[in-house]
Amino acid sequence: MDITKQNINDVLLITIEDKDANLSKSEHFKEQVLNEITLGARKLIVSFERVEYIDSSFLGAMVAILKNLLPQDGKLVLIELNSDINNLFELTRLDKIFDLKDSLETALKEF
Amino acid sequence: MKFLPVTIDLEIPNDIDKLYDYAKRVLANILEHVELDVSQQQRIKLILVELVTNSIKHTSDPNTQLQLIIDHPHLSIQKMEKGLQIQFSASSPQIPFENIDHILKISFSQENKHQIQPLDQYRFRFLNPFKDEGLSIDHMPEHFGLYIITLASDSFIYQYDPQLKENRYIVNIDL
Repeated sequence: MDITKQNINDVLLITIEDKDANLSKSEHFKEQVLNEITLGARKLIVSFERVEYIDSSFLGAMVAILKNLLPQDGKLVLIELNSDINNLFELTRLDKIFDLKDSLETALKEF
Repeated sequence: MKFLPVTIDLEIPNDIDKLYDYAKRVLANILEHVELDVSQQQRIKLILVELVTNSIKHTSDPNTQLQLIIDHPHLSIQKMEKGLQIQFSASSPQIPFENIDHILKISFSQENKHQIQPLDQYRFRFLNPFKDEGLSIDHMPEHFGLYIITLASDSFIYQYDPQLKENRYIVNIDL
């Protein structure tokens, strides 16, 4: 999956560059983020600014990442979700599990 | 609202990266016949994406078809594919069900569990997966496809025809 990474102080901002976050990319994305956690990243922000939709496979990948990160005292914030993606998190009640924020500025205040 | 009911048969795409555009086109097609609010439109797109993704992941039938039955006050999205019936894990009750009087717990894997209400030996309805459970990341599944269809619809029914060897997924949405 096409992502960009930026370190802001000790927070790693991962921006998903693909507009389709789906079955064909979910496993690769999970590996990319888990690799960052293995390398020491504990404060993560994932930006969905460019993503048009996500499917169940990608949602599963996000859950797997969070399950990996939380026992290591990590924190994950998801930002800039469009209306369709927000709706999916609400429908599956994952909005109660994940930390969803509108903007990078708001997300950075969480750390 | 035009003359109803309307039945539309659709091929499904086999390129996963064209799926969202496909869902938007199908939705536009539906909107030519009925008015839908934003929430209904979002739910229909989710259902279409997950029904087709499920086929791309799990089905060998190259002739899987979708059928829309647009009526009022219901919209039905049905997916038909030939082949063996849906397979649960070995510890789950299997089709044909021996006991159709009770809610059953079935699973496809450790991370993919469901409650279903049998309607007959070859037919069942998926039940709301979160109705009786609290929220915990530890117990969150990592396979959401069937959950999403269940939650986004007003009823989600699976049926198998052993004579035709046809699987049918029937998703109903109240309009």
